[in-house]
Amino acid sequence: MAKIESVNVKKIFKIKKGGNQYDELPALGGVDLKIEQGEFMVIVGPSGCGKSTFLDLVSGLTLPDSGTITIDGKPVTGPGLDRAIVFQQNALFPWRTTLENVEFGLESTNPDRDNRREIALDYLSLVGLSGYHNHYPHQLSGGMKQRVSIARALALNPDIMLMDEPLAALDAQTREFLQRDILRISKESHKTVLFITHSIDEAVFLGDKVAVMSARPGVIKEILDIPLTAEQRAEDDVVATKEFVQSRLILWKLLKEEVVKVQESQIRFQNQAVAQSPARGIGNGLINAVRVLTKI
Amino acid sequence: MESKEFIKKLKAYALKSSAIVAFILLWEAAPHLGLIDPIFIPPPSIIAAKIYQLLLSGELLVHTVASLERVFLGFIIALAVALPLGFLIGGWFKTFETAVDPLLQILGQANPFTLFPVFMALLGIGELSKIGIIYWVCQWPVLFNTVSGIKSVDPVYIKVGRSMGLTKFNLFKKVLLPAALPAVFTGIRMSAVFAFFMLIGAEMIGAHSGLGFLIIQSEAVFNMPKMYAAIVSVALLGIAINYVMLKLERRAMSWKEDVAV
Ligand SMILES: Nc1ncnc2c1ncn2[C@@H]1O[C@H](COP(=O)(O)OP(=O)(O)O)[C@@H](O)[C@H]1O
Ligand SMILES: [Mg+2]
Repeated sequence: MAKIESVNVKKIFKIKKGGNQYDELPALGGVDLKIEQGEFMVIVGPSGCGKSTFLDLVSGLTLPDSGTITIDGKPVTGPGLDRAIVFQQNALFPWRTTLENVEFGLESTNPDRDNRREIALDYLSLVGLSGYHNHYPHQLSGGMKQRVSIARALALNPDIMLMDEPLAALDAQTREFLQRDILRISKESHKTVLFITHSIDEAVFLGDKVAVMSARPGVIKEILDIPLTAEQRAEDDVVATKEFVQSRLILWKLLKEEVVKVQESQIRFQNQAVAQSPARGIGNGLINAVRVLTKI
Repeated sequence: MESKEFIKKLKAYALKSSAIVAFILLWEAAPHLGLIDPIFIPPPSIIAAKIYQLLLSGELLVHTVASLERVFLGFIIALAVALPLGFLIGGWFKTFETAVDPLLQILGQANPFTLFPVFMALLGIGELSKIGIIYWVCQWPVLFNTVSGIKSVDPVYIKVGRSMGLTKFNLFKKVLLPAALPAVFTGIRMSAVFAFFMLIGAEMIGAHSGLGFLIIQSEAVFNMPKMYAAIVSVALLGIAINYVMLKLERRAMSWKEDVAV
């Protein structure tokens, strides 16, 4: 039985138009995805295609409009301590020290104060932050903050880690270090990981499998097995291996089609705007097209 | 090293207080130069001497205590009403909030001085109406800032809390409350300042004690030095209240990044 299974999951957002009028925004158009126990699954897709929406559904923070998501065969009906989320950035509580942040989830499950503290300190050292337990988030760098977020999620000892572009806001160097740590920790602790990114390199480096999501409404367009071994990934020159380069190229082609779709729909949208206000539309259309292309 | 630091600090203080010192010196010299009439605007030295004398006689203390008592009571009642109400409106009753917000905005905008006669008519001209009006003025900044503080809590904090299986109560206690605290404190500090403004006004209209009363009474008997002594005391007390509030705020939110204001 798959650890996580999503069958034909759809999500439609209702956007208030004023009064009792709603616009419907189909975010997910029937997502099918199976993730096995211990697997590192990465989802890539153009910006706004519904990746975060899907992750929220797996976490149980929101519920699908149709279709089902099951964990170990049981349908998800809400959040659960078997799943922990790491968000993109600034999700640490600024009023808590790093230690208190990591303890946060434990407070409802573990009444033993000293034991809680011990566990939290362990996880802080696991992510390479021992000695920083009394720092407040604003005293940490972006990379350190994400390390604390990861420790906070791990502290609950969940089976599943849900990570929504956790490294997107970091500089290239910090990002690479954290990617290696995430890979190491997830394999050592046998977690099942669902990881979202819009970086192809990150997807290839981390994923056992990479699922490519289509432009909105998002569906899984293709799932690619990444043939890299753990040993290869541990090497510094992993990006130069044949397997890495080939996977990268395949993903790039798949994604480009989706990005072009987004771009075309945006230009169509812009053209409507041009008809209404000729002066502003063309420039914006170009800027948007460039913006969408450079996102990947 | 240390003495250098000290001299640097001293210089900073000197620069900061230079305008104040210049102002006081000018004020002091003005009557001697025939620029102002010392009968109407006595020089600072006379005012200072008067304050000292009022302190010794205990008169200043009596009035200050009377004023502070009123501010404190009105302020505490306002907190007791507005804080829970703000959390309820901002946190749980979204529809209720939409319904009552316009009304609250109008009530909050009503100039409290114009409402003064209403309070006097309802509560008499004794202590009750003064405390009442202070309560009225204080509750709005607390209420509005609490509601908006709760409503503008970053949704990602709530997501983290919910994903970790927090009960509604714990979500409120551990996430909403601390996240909204900075905004709540802004409201509290604003209302402390308002309370003090309002109090002096209230005491000028009908009172037998308090600093506002002292100002009006001294003016009535044309005791200008005493009047100015009371005015300066009010100003100093206002500064002190603001200072204490700031200290409390810093203390409650020591986790905050230090930003120069
Ligand atoms: N709560 C919401 N209400 C309305 N629209 C939403 C909401 N959340 C996301 N959307 C829309 O759904 C689409 C997918 O969003 P998201 O899942 O965040 O995309 P991404 O793939 O970039 O993570 C976007 O067009 C976004 O604007
Ligand atoms: Mg997203």
